[in-house]
Amino acid sequence: MPDKFERFNRLISGWFEWIGFAALFLMMAVTCVDVVGAKVFKWRLLGALDIVTLSQIVAIGFAASMTLIVGQHISVEFFFKLMPRPLQKVIHGFVLLLSLGLFVLIIWQVCVLGYSFQESGEYSPTIYIPLYPFAYALAFACIPVCLVLIQTFIKAVAGGQEK
Amino acid sequence: MNPTTVGLIGIALLLVLFLLRMPVAFAMALVGFGGFALLTSPAAALHLLSRDVYDTFSSYPLSVIPLFILMGTFAFASGISQRLYKTTYTWIGQYRGGLTMATVFACAGFGAICGSSTATAATMGKIALPEMKKYDYDDTLSTGTVAAAGTLGILIPPSTVLIVYGILTEESIGKLFVAGILPGILMTILFALTVAVLCWRNPAIGPPGTPTSWGEKLKALTGIIEALLLFLLAIGGLFLGWFSPTQAGAIGAGGALLIGLVRRKLTWGTFVDAGKAAIRTSCMVIFIISGAVVFGHFMSVSRIPFILAEWLGGLPIHPMAIIGVIIFIYFLGGFFMDSMGLVVVTIPIFFPIVMKLGFDPIWFGVIIVLVSEMGVITPPVGVNVFVIKGISPDIPLEQIFRGILPFLAALVIMTIILLIFPQIATFLPSLVGY
Repeated sequence: MPDKFERFNRLISGWFEWIGFAALFLMMAVTCVDVVGAKVFKWRLLGALDIVTLSQIVAIGFAASMTLIVGQHISVEFFFKLMPRPLQKVIHGFVLLLSLGLFVLIIWQVCVLGYSFQESGEYSPTIYIPLYPFAYALAFACIPVCLVLIQTFIKAVAGGQEK
Repeated sequence: MNPTTVGLIGIALLLVLFLLRMPVAFAMALVGFGGFALLTSPAAALHLLSRDVYDTFSSYPLSVIPLFILMGTFAFASGISQRLYKTTYTWIGQYRGGLTMATVFACAGFGAICGSSTATAATMGKIALPEMKKYDYDDTLSTGTVAAAGTLGILIPPSTVLIVYGILTEESIGKLFVAGILPGILMTILFALTVAVLCWRNPAIGPPGTPTSWGEKLKALTGIIEALLLFLLAIGGLFLGWFSPTQAGAIGAGGALLIGLVRRKLTWGTFVDAGKAAIRTSCMVIFIISGAVVFGHFMSVSRIPFILAEWLGGLPIHPMAIIGVIIFIYFLGGFFMDSMGLVVVTIPIFFPIVMKLGFDPIWFGVIIVLVSEMGVITPPVGVNVFVIKGISPDIPLEQIFRGILPFLAALVIMTIILLIFPQIATFLPSLVGY
């Protein structure tokens, strides 16, 4: 069961990472087209700035769970490794629960923020793209982060090999 | 409880969470949120959390980070690093310690298109270490050199740490990049001199490589053209005011991609790997900044940075002594924390002090990067050393750390030079109008 959960998380996070990568590529492509257009053809891509900022939300948000899975986040390992193994397990579980709490708060509050954008009708400044779908997308992209944290917690408590 | 006490407890709690191996980004966001809730109201803190995360993720100035990181990963995938090494190797490989010096110069060259020290060390380590092994170079020298020279990646522009410093302190990223050029060149020369001195004292550690003719040397120069073009286009364009930092990053990434395609070095697999590596690193950096923004708001309401700045500013000691203490704190912090994490955590506290003392923020940024570089190669968290260990698993970690020591001395000398002659960092930015 835990293995299935882990595979599921990897699969979902892998798909999400593809979305993030596509958004990052879009950021690069849109900026290049805008710059080359402005410098060479005296033509600006309307809304390039809006597209870049909104793509960045998608790029970073959707890459979050895979970044967590591959252990890319910076942490201080030195002292933890000096602790006895049983204590490491307890602390690791505690830290995972704290992280889970943080992400639950983020998902909830970003949804609230998205709702407020939707209610007040907030748009991007140049080409008037509605902002609320991006806030909801960010909250949605954080769900696999919670799943990964839950799965890692189960594994840590069950005494599985830590990554 | 008064705000300052809450702030101090918050800092202590943050350190405890770091020691418990909570990711730096999450710990800062959590403590920042909790502290802000205590000092204002839970509702305000909840609003702050979502607003800070959303605003950071959608920040246009921050988009410079993923784009410059993408430039570095595309440059690696396009084989630019291999050609850079081949050029430097052809030019100086035949001299005593030449391969090691070639590695230093190639690291500097790659650092000019890649903003990460770990990426520079990993990239050059994979190329240079087998070559040095082939020519019987001493393992301590070769591994120490690659780990140390990799740090040039965060000093020579583009530099992710300087970008983050610029964003957190609202300083011009263009000026910070330009400020890193002269110290970067000096640091490269100091590293090369370190190698020369070591090989002069003990010629057996760096035997000469195969001699090359002038024809081969001139032909090899083509290997640096792409890196030079990319640097001139992205950083030169930024320096001349053609591009904003984000545009420079995008043009650099696009240029590196184009080079890979024209050279037929970029396959679908390497393209995807480069993109995924870039998105993961960017995600890590932007999460850290989000955490730092939340924590920074907590620090602001606790008023600790301002009280500390007032207090230190009023002390009857020379401002340089205070800078010395700050540098020492960074040096100690570097033993336990990655350079990016260290800069993000400490800037909200130390930057107001440095401003109060009247120091140049651009100069301070370069100093901080230099000192953070030491942390990248010193035990127990010397990230670059672990990267090199991963590439050469047969060489003991202690031996690599031993190889680092002469280069650490070079970094200390460079820091002292920069403290005495701040113009090295401030001269070029003074020529830039933005």
